[in-house]
Order: sequence, then structure tokens, then C-alpha cells
Amino acid sequence: MSEAAVKIAIRGLSKSFGANHVLTELDLDIRDGESLVIIGASGTGKSVLLKNIVGILTPDSGSIKIAGEEVVGVTGNSRDRINRKLGMLFQGAALFDSLPLWENAAFGLMSSHRMGRDEARKKAIDFLKQVGLSEADANRYPSDISAGAQKRVGLARAIATEPEILFFDEPTTGIDPVMGDIIDSLIVSCVRNLGATALTITHDMESARRIGDRVAMIYEGKIVWVGDVAEIDDSGNAFIHQFIHGSVEGPMASLIAANASV
Amino acid sequence: MGLLAAIGRVFISFLAATGRLAVFAGISVSHIVRPPFYPRLLLRQIIEIGYYSLPVVGLTAVFTGMVLALQSYTGFARFNAESAVATVVVLSITRELAPVLAGLMVAGRIGAAMAAEIGTMRVTEQIDALSTLSTNPYKYLVAPRLLAGFVMLPCCVLVADIIGVFGGYLISVHKLGFNPSVYIKNTWQFLEVMDVLSGLVKAAVFGFLIALMGCYHGYYSKGGAQGVGSATTNAVVSASILILAFNYLITEAFFAQ
Repeated sequence: MSEAAVKIAIRGLSKSFGANHVLTELDLDIRDGESLVIIGASGTGKSVLLKNIVGILTPDSGSIKIAGEEVVGVTGNSRDRINRKLGMLFQGAALFDSLPLWENAAFGLMSSHRMGRDEARKKAIDFLKQVGLSEADANRYPSDISAGAQKRVGLARAIATEPEILFFDEPTTGIDPVMGDIIDSLIVSCVRNLGATALTITHDMESARRIGDRVAMIYEGKIVWVGDVAEIDDSGNAFIHQFIHGSVEGPMASLIAANASV
Repeated sequence: MGLLAAIGRVFISFLAATGRLAVFAGISVSHIVRPPFYPRLLLRQIIEIGYYSLPVVGLTAVFTGMVLALQSYTGFARFNAESAVATVVVLSITRELAPVLAGLMVAGRIGAAMAAEIGTMRVTEQIDALSTLSTNPYKYLVAPRLLAGFVMLPCCVLVADIIGVFGGYLISVHKLGFNPSVYIKNTWQFLEVMDVLSGLVKAAVFGFLIALMGCYHGYYSKGGAQGVGSATTNAVVSASILILAFNYLITEAFFAQ
């Protein structure tokens, strides 16, 4: 694959917490304009990988290039400049409790894009409408709305700055299947409308099939399979087979036993 | 050997925590003076720390002044030195009691609230969200609180000075039978600018420490609701101890002969 076609290039990424080696020499390419979904069991390093890419965690070693620019070790204003290209929907939405919904959605516009409050509010309301909320909801607070609605606001916040790359951390976790379907559809349409590159972390296979162009499977801190969504059922990979069939028997048996004992 | 190792571990962990706190304080202070600034957030903290703390600080001060008048009168009556009551009340209030008691009360109210709010933001990934939105959490969350604490606690203490002295006046005049004009004259006679100033300097330091402890423990909280609860407790306890320790150091600096 040519370097120009790769939006995010990860090489030899390692991250440990004490004696717990979460990521070990992980390599992954995310192509420009694609929607890549990373699947894997709990505790395999999915969220840690995502947090390393967006700069919340710093890797122990390895390289992460976003649009050709090395981001490991970059801090301060330089990191802020890189982060302006990114948007992220957190697992629990991570909305700011003290701010009304419109201000949550407009946060990036006002803080990093220096937009005035009135203009940011108008734009935020447009984005809230895009994700299925009304103008009347704009002045409500996160504690006043359901988990599904919070995810919608989180999505509006992620896309409001029209980023080049979108990250979705477990977008359907904690919400009912119908709302999960709606959120997935919103994600697909938002990514398409923005022409953005998307990276989604999930263990929900239905969601992965709906959102992704390609799927990567992570196990014990390494990518063990990458392929198109259409190939997933006939991958011939034992990890993928065990994961999509939810089987106890298979190469991930030790991890399942470890998770069960916690 | 096991005991020595345990003491060593505790000592190293204490040094690590002190270093981490110093780095946290240094980074936070540097963000107070560097743009961008968040005047809206600063105003909110000024109101929260200053305005909303006034009732509790005022009540503490008035009762402290009243008790001080009663106790000092009881003591001084044994030496026929009742006329010193007004001076003792005003010096005790301005130099020590108003800043220390106001600091402790605000530590319980504001330090706990800051730790709980920032701790909740930490465990619900709101602080991570700030970073991904190109907003520095030190600048957005910590700097306005430190600045507001530093500025507003002296304002509260100035009010507490007035209310505390007034509490002493009320008891002295209406219960102990002092002449009002003589009491006021005695209050002013031995009061120096340095007495009030030292109290205000203490208050500024205490306000900074309260906000620092609240933000620090909240920022590094982990482990869900239990972690936030621990952060809240630690913020109040550490702020209270630091207030008492720094009270001695500042008193030493101002009044040591």
C-alpha cells in the first residue's frame, strides 16, 4: 500500500501498565477515507490502542503517523493542532455535565476553532438536528436525557468541527438494539457526508458489519487478522471464527478464563 | 528488614506524591498567565468560592467573635484587665481566627466540591474528551479554580474580620456592659495594618492550597464512585493540614522577632 493512501500508520506500538503488557509491537494501517472497525474481546487492548492514537495515553514505544505526521511524543499546541483534525465519540458519551446540550455540541467550535457563541450555537443546533434531536432539546442538560440521546449529542460534538478522522469507542454499548441500529446509521451517514476516515472500536459484530468497510481483530495486544467486512465469515482465521460465533472453545480460551476469574 | 523496607516504600511514595503535586502546581500556575483565558469559567468560580461561601464564613466569624469576647473577658477579669478584651478580639480575629477558620470552612465546602466535580469528570472520561477537543484540562479546569481561590478567600476573610469583630462588640456591649465608644476606640487603638494584611496574605495562600488540593485529588482520582469519594476526603484532609502548617510558617515569617 502506498504511504499516501494511508491516513493512520501504526508501527511497533507497545504499551504496558506495570507488568501488564496491553499492546505489543502492534502494526496497523488505516486507509484514507475508509471505515475500519477493530473488534476483540474485553481486555485485549482496543480502547488502549484508541487512546494512544488520540493522545490520551502515551505509548512506551512505536510510531503513530496521522496524515504522514508523527504524533508520538507531540504535546502542547502541536498536539492541539493535530487533534483539530480528529473527532471522537466516547463509550459513555463523556458529555460535560455542567453545559447544556448545544454547548456540548459546540464545544470544539468555540474552544479550538474560536467561533463566537451565537454562531457556534446556530451551528450546534444544526448538528443536533442531524443526529435526530430538536432545537427544543438544545438547552437541556446531559442528565435530562437518555443514554441513547447522550450518544447522539456525543456524535454531534464529534462531527461539529468537521474533522478528517472520526473515532468511535464502543458506540452501541449500553443502549438497546434499536437505538444501536440508529446510532450505527447515523455514524455511517456522518462519516459519508464528511468524507472522513473512521476508526471504530467494538465487540458488537452486528454494529461492526453495519459500520465497517474493513475489520481488524486484536488479541493480546496484536492485530491477528485484517480483512474486508464481506470476508469475515469465510476468513479461515481461528480467532475470528471463535469471536463471531461467541464460542468458549478456541485460541482465546485462556483470555476468556482470565476474564471469567476476575 | 521488612520494617525498614516498608518505611522506605512509604517514604519513596511520599516523595513521589510530593513531586507529582509540585509538577501539577507548576503546570497549573503556568496556565494561569498564558492565553487562552476563560473569563466565564473564572467568574463562575469567583461566585462559587466567594459569594456562596459568605454565609458559612460569616456565621463562623460572628460566633467566633462572640465566644472570644466571652472567654477573654472571663480570663482578663481575674487580672482586672477587662479593657484588653477589644484588642484581643480584633487581633485574634484578624491575625489568626478569621483566615484559619474561614480556610477550614471553605476547604470543607469548596475543596470537597472541586475534588468531586473534577473526579467525576475524570472517571466519566470528560477530561479525556477535553483533550481530544484541543482544550488543555489544566487551563480549562484547574487554572480558573486556583486563581479564584487565591483572589476570593482574602475577600471572604476581610468580611469575616468585620463580622467577627462585630460579634465581639455585640457581646461586650450588650452582655458584658462595655461602653460602645470605648470598646470601638480600644479596637482601633492597637490594630495595625500588618495585622489585617498578614491575615489576608494567609487567606490568599489558603485559598490557593484549597483549590490546589481539590483539583489535584480530583484530577488523579480513579476507580469510579469509590475513587471519587476517596479523592473528596483526601482533598479536605490534606487542605486542612496544609492550612494549619502554612499558618504557622506565614505567622513565623510575619511576626518572628
